[in-house]
Amino acid sequence: MPRRDPWSTPRPALPALVLGWFRAHAFDARDVLSVATRQPGLALLIWSLLGIALSFPAGLYLLRANVAALGADWAGSPGLSVYLTLDAGAEVRDGLAAVLRLRDEVLDVEVVTPEAALAAFEAHAELGDVLADLPENPLPASLRVAVKPGRSAADLDALAASVTGETGVAEVVIERLWVERVADLSALLGRFSALLGILFGTGALLVTATAIRLALETRLNALRVLQLVGATDAQMRRPLLYLGVWYGAGGAVLAAMLISLALVLVEPPLTRLAGSFGQAVTVRGFDGRFVAVLLAAGVVLGFGGALLAARQRLRRLNAV
Amino acid sequence: MGAVEFRRVTRRYETGQEALADLTLRIDAGSMAFLTGHSGAGKSTCLRLLLGLDRPTRGQVLVNEVDIAALSPRRLALYRRQIGVVLQDPMLLADRTVFDNVALSLRVAGVPARDLPRRVRAALGLVDLHGKEPCLPRELSAGEQQRVGLARAFVGRPQMLLADEPTGNLDPALSRDILDVFERFHELGTTVIIATHEQALIARRGARIIELDHGALVYDATAPGGGVADGNPAYPQ
Repeated sequence: MPRRDPWSTPRPALPALVLGWFRAHAFDARDVLSVATRQPGLALLIWSLLGIALSFPAGLYLLRANVAALGADWAGSPGLSVYLTLDAGAEVRDGLAAVLRLRDEVLDVEVVTPEAALAAFEAHAELGDVLADLPENPLPASLRVAVKPGRSAADLDALAASVTGETGVAEVVIERLWVERVADLSALLGRFSALLGILFGTGALLVTATAIRLALETRLNALRVLQLVGATDAQMRRPLLYLGVWYGAGGAVLAAMLISLALVLVEPPLTRLAGSFGQAVTVRGFDGRFVAVLLAAGVVLGFGGALLAARQRLRRLNAV
Repeated sequence: MGAVEFRRVTRRYETGQEALADLTLRIDAGSMAFLTGHSGAGKSTCLRLLLGLDRPTRGQVLVNEVDIAALSPRRLALYRRQIGVVLQDPMLLADRTVFDNVALSLRVAGVPARDLPRRVRAALGLVDLHGKEPCLPRELSAGEQQRVGLARAFVGRPQMLLADEPTGNLDPALSRDILDVFERFHELGTTVIIATHEQALIARRGARIIELDHGALVYDATAPGGGVADGNPAYPQ
């Protein structure tokens, strides 16, 4: 009659169990980090792969957030830009401004003189003295008409139609169209970033799994020894999962660095562009929360990839 | 503790090859036995079955009357902690010191860190490797590396030591030294089972010799010096 299993060791007391668990995890986390840093070339390669894979969806998310914010800013002050003909004098300009101010739907009218328009253009276009050398100012005067909040698109269309027929008016641009386009662009970017997020997220997962698989092959000897000396599946998996976590975290840090570099490069021309529309732009979204989410995403992907690789390989591990 | 029993064990692979054929065998706790035979005789299969790395196609492998194939993965891991394993390749971790290599099995078993130095030093003392703790494996000779493997196998004071061709890479003098170390462990009460094809090396050791051929038992006796031998010319008196 077979006896009771003699290897069913009594469970240690809970505090000792918890302390031992923490110590084992701390040892593996430290140990694996030292293994990873002993192969800096491989670690850098994997971090770069993961960093690039993570930076695409994260960068698109930031782009979408900023485009949406830009649209929201514009949506708060819809209106028209009324460009006058070059020969329209100050009398026509100021008269038209006065008429517009009397209309119910108009909140404010800002008069932009040809001189002010030229000065703004010089400031943004960085053409130096080229414009100063022109015999006369080529820019017309214009009126920036802000309508009251809550006015419909039809109100704007009606206002634009009524202004178009006025004396001295060359062109009327409804700024709402631009805003709508920004909103459409934001929605498109949202879809695109979600799609790319899934694609690159899956890519990052597979990259991590492949990297861990490679690392695992180089550690096969160690795993076989662990199996021989009685390590449980969880004990054999644990260092590999920590390796995945380190790779994922490193990839996320690199992704944050790549995105911040991209922002440094993009912010000055973006600010100038927005300034030409009278908007002050600050890049939004790249804050502590964003970096924390990026880091968490990297860790989760690294962990998932490592789990995938470890489960596949350890199933076929045979020490002897 | 450490009694081993093969009950009508057959192991047939998917290819149709039969590694063990209806093998029945008992090795008492605390004894020392050599499993011998030509390449392909079934020696390593016996060890793999004993370690729970493989399962018999038919029959049972019992250790302390427990069927190894019936153990859950976790129990199997706990069971392996009671067994020391030495292979032809000592499988030392090249980037770890001798201390870390030997301490590995203790760490796996959850031995507190403060106890590691004392126990590792004791195990290294048994294999005459005092003071080698900080060395890396590449700084040791082949014989010393095999001794480190032995120390790692024994540091947890296992009930049973299994060895698969442990002297395969060593010259005759070093091989005798290594077998002496195994005998030292056996004298401490450990069941020792060594698979080897080097019949000349084991002939006069006085331990039980079990010879397999094509997975079947063909010779089983205590060699000269230990008592019974049934006149097999491979093990001269």
